[in-house]
Amino acid sequence: MRKRRTVAIVAVAAALTLTAGCGRDAGSGQEQAKAVDAGKATGDITVWAMGTEGEKLAAFAKDFTAENPDAKVNVTAVPWDAAHQKIASAIAAKQTPDVSMIGTTWQGEFAKTGALDPTPPDLIDSAAFFPGAWATTQVNGTSFGVPWYVETRALYYRTDIAAKAGVTSPPKTWEELTAMTKAMQAKGGAKWGIYLQPGKTGSWQTVLPFAWSNGASIADDKGYTFDSPQMTEALQYYQSFFTQKVSPTDLPNGQLEPDFGKGAIGAFISGPWEAGLVDEQGAKGKYAVAPLPTKQSSTSFIGGSNVAVFKDAKNRDGAWKFIQWLSKPDVQVKWYQTVTDLPAVQSAWQDPALTSDPILTTFGEQLKTAKAPPSFPTWEQVAASLDTEVEKVVNGKETPAAAVKTVQSQAQSIGTGA
Amino acid sequence: MATVAVRAPAKSAAGTPPRTRRRKWTGWAFAAPFVLLFLVFSALPVLASLVMSVTDLRSTDLRHPLAVNFTGLDNYIRLFSDELFLRSALNTVVFVVVGVPLTMVIALAAANGLNSGLIRFRALFRVGFYLPVVTSIVAVAVVWRFLLDPEVGLVDNLLRLIGVDGPNWLADTSTAMPSLIVMTAWRNFGTMMVIFLAALQSIPADLYEAATLDGAGRWQQFRNVTLPLLRPTLLFGAVYTGIGYLQVFEEPFVMTQGGPLSSTLSVSYHIYNQFGFGNYGYASAASYVLFVAIVALSVLQFRLLRERD
Repeated sequence: MRKRRTVAIVAVAAALTLTAGCGRDAGSGQEQAKAVDAGKATGDITVWAMGTEGEKLAAFAKDFTAENPDAKVNVTAVPWDAAHQKIASAIAAKQTPDVSMIGTTWQGEFAKTGALDPTPPDLIDSAAFFPGAWATTQVNGTSFGVPWYVETRALYYRTDIAAKAGVTSPPKTWEELTAMTKAMQAKGGAKWGIYLQPGKTGSWQTVLPFAWSNGASIADDKGYTFDSPQMTEALQYYQSFFTQKVSPTDLPNGQLEPDFGKGAIGAFISGPWEAGLVDEQGAKGKYAVAPLPTKQSSTSFIGGSNVAVFKDAKNRDGAWKFIQWLSKPDVQVKWYQTVTDLPAVQSAWQDPALTSDPILTTFGEQLKTAKAPPSFPTWEQVAASLDTEVEKVVNGKETPAAAVKTVQSQAQSIGTGA
Repeated sequence: MATVAVRAPAKSAAGTPPRTRRRKWTGWAFAAPFVLLFLVFSALPVLASLVMSVTDLRSTDLRHPLAVNFTGLDNYIRLFSDELFLRSALNTVVFVVVGVPLTMVIALAAANGLNSGLIRFRALFRVGFYLPVVTSIVAVAVVWRFLLDPEVGLVDNLLRLIGVDGPNWLADTSTAMPSLIVMTAWRNFGTMMVIFLAALQSIPADLYEAATLDGAGRWQQFRNVTLPLLRPTLLFGAVYTGIGYLQVFEEPFVMTQGGPLSSTLSVSYHIYNQFGFGNYGYASAASYVLFVAIVALSVLQFRLLRERD
C-alpha cells in the first residue's frame, strides 16, 4: 500500500513540475520574412507531397535540377490519409523536410505552431496568384507558403434534360436554378432535379458558396460571424431543394455519377475532377458546366494545396528557390499537363492548353472571385459543426435560423485558436 | 513503478544475506527488458495523457508542448456540457447494454448447439461461426452495406417478398444503431462461442446423468447444472465483451461515419474526432472518462456475476 502511495505522489509531483512554470507566452507580433540569397539553388532539397503529386513530382523536378545542377530534389510520397499526422509528428520532433505540400485548410494550424517559414515577398509576387488562393496562405496577415494548385466548384447540368424541360441557357440566378431543376424533374424525366450534399463531412464546401453569393461573411479578424440574415437566407434556399423533394437526402456513396450519367439526376455542384468521372458514366457531350448562379454575386469555394517551407529546414534557400520555380507560369502549365492540377498562377491560364477547354474556362472564370474559409487553426472543427447542423436542416429537424445560431455559439466556444 | 524498482533492493540490503540479494538482482535483470519497455511505451504515455487532460494543449502547441496553461478540471467540466459528447455517451451505453447480452446469448446458444446437437458437422460450423472474427472489418462492412442497401440489399428484398417495405437501414436514425449492434454481435460472437464451448465440454457428464435420474428436463438441466458451472466463464465473457464494446469505433467508422445525425457516434469515435481537430487536452480528458467507465462496468460485472457462497 505504501509503495503504491509513493508512486502516486511521484506521479503527481511530476505532473506539477511539468505544468508549473509553464504557460503561454503573450501573443507575439507579426513575423518578418528573411530574404533568400540570389544565385542558383544548391544542395539537397527534401520535399513531401501527397497523392498523385507525390508520385509524379520526382520525375517532374528533373527540369529544376537541370537548371540548378548543384541541387538535388528528394521527393517523399505521403498518402493523404497519413499526411496530417506525419507533418504534425515531424513538427513535434523538429525533424521536418525542407518543403511540404500543405492542404489549404491545414495552413492555419501548422502556421500557428510556428513551424512554417514566412514567405519572402522579394522572391514571390503575391499578385500573380488568384486572390482567394493567396488568402489561404495568410495567417494573421503573414503569408506562410505559396499556392501550388487550385480547384473550385461550379454547376454541372444535363443540357439534354434541360432542353426537354424548356431551358436552353444555363441558370443565371437562384430563381432560375430552382425553376430549371424543378422543370427537369417535372418535364425532363429526371428523378431528382439536382444533387446537393445533404450534410456530412465536407458539405460546407457546397453550402458556403451560396452564403458568400448572398453577401454573407462567416468571419472577420476577431472571430466567426455566422449569425447573419444573409447566412440564414442562404441556408433557407439550400433547404428548399430538400423540402420540395428536388434533391435527395440519402443518396448512397458513389451513386451520383452513374445517376447523372443515366439522367436520373439533372444537376449537381462539384469540382473539375468530376468531369472525367461523369464522362466515364456515359454523360459525355450531354452536359455543360456553368458558373454558380448569382444572388448578389457568384462566389464559389476555392480549394487546392499550398507548398510551404519549414523553419527547421536544412536547406531553406534551396527550398524557396524550388517553390519559386514551381510557381513560374510555364512550369504551372506543364504541371497541369502532367497531373491535371489547375494552375494557381493566373497568367498560366492564358496558355492554349487551358483556354481550349470550355469546361476549364468556366472554372477559370469562377476562380477569379472564389473564396476560402478563414485560416483559423480551429476551422476544421467549426466546419464539422456546420456539417452537422446542415444535416439537421436538410432533414427538417431544425430551422435554418436556429442552425445558424447553433453554429455561431459552437464556433464561439471553440474559438479561433489564435 | 520506478520507485518500486529502486526501493526493493535497497531494503533487502539491510537484512538479507548477499546470495538472496544477488538473486533478486538477477530477477530484476531478467525483468528489465519488459519493465523498461513498459515504462517508456506504456506508463509514460499514460501519465503524459493524464497531464495533458488538465491543460489546454492543442495541436498548434506541437513545437512548445510545455508552454501551455494548466486548466485544472476545466476540460472535464466542459465535456459534460458538450452536447455531442453526451450524445455519444448515450449511444455507447445503448450499444453496450443491448450488444453485450445479445452477443453472449447468441454465443451461448451456438456453443450449446455445437456441444449437443450439431455433432456431425461440428468442425464446419465451428469454423463458420468463427470466421467473422478473423475477417477484416473493412470486408465485413462492404458486405453488410450491400446487405442493408435499400435498393439492391438482400434484407429489404426479402422483406419485399412478404410485402413489407423495409427501411433504409443505415440512413435512418432509428435503425442505424440497431443495424450496427446486430452486425457487431454477428462479428464478435465467435470468440465467446469457442470459449463457452470449451467450458461446456469441461462439465462432467455424470452431473447430467445424476440430473436425468432426478427427473430434470433439458431446460432444468441447463438452468441448474450448466449455468452455475459456467458462471466464471460467463463473467469472463461479459467483462471481455463489455470492455471491447465500450470502446466501439471500427463499426460506426466504416459503416456510418457516426451518422445519420450523430445517431451512431460512439465515445471512442468522438475522441478520435477531437484528436483530429487538434484538441489534445480535451480529447485526453474524454479518454480518461471512458477509462473510468470501463473500470466501473468491469467492477459492476464482477459484483453481479461473482461466485456466491
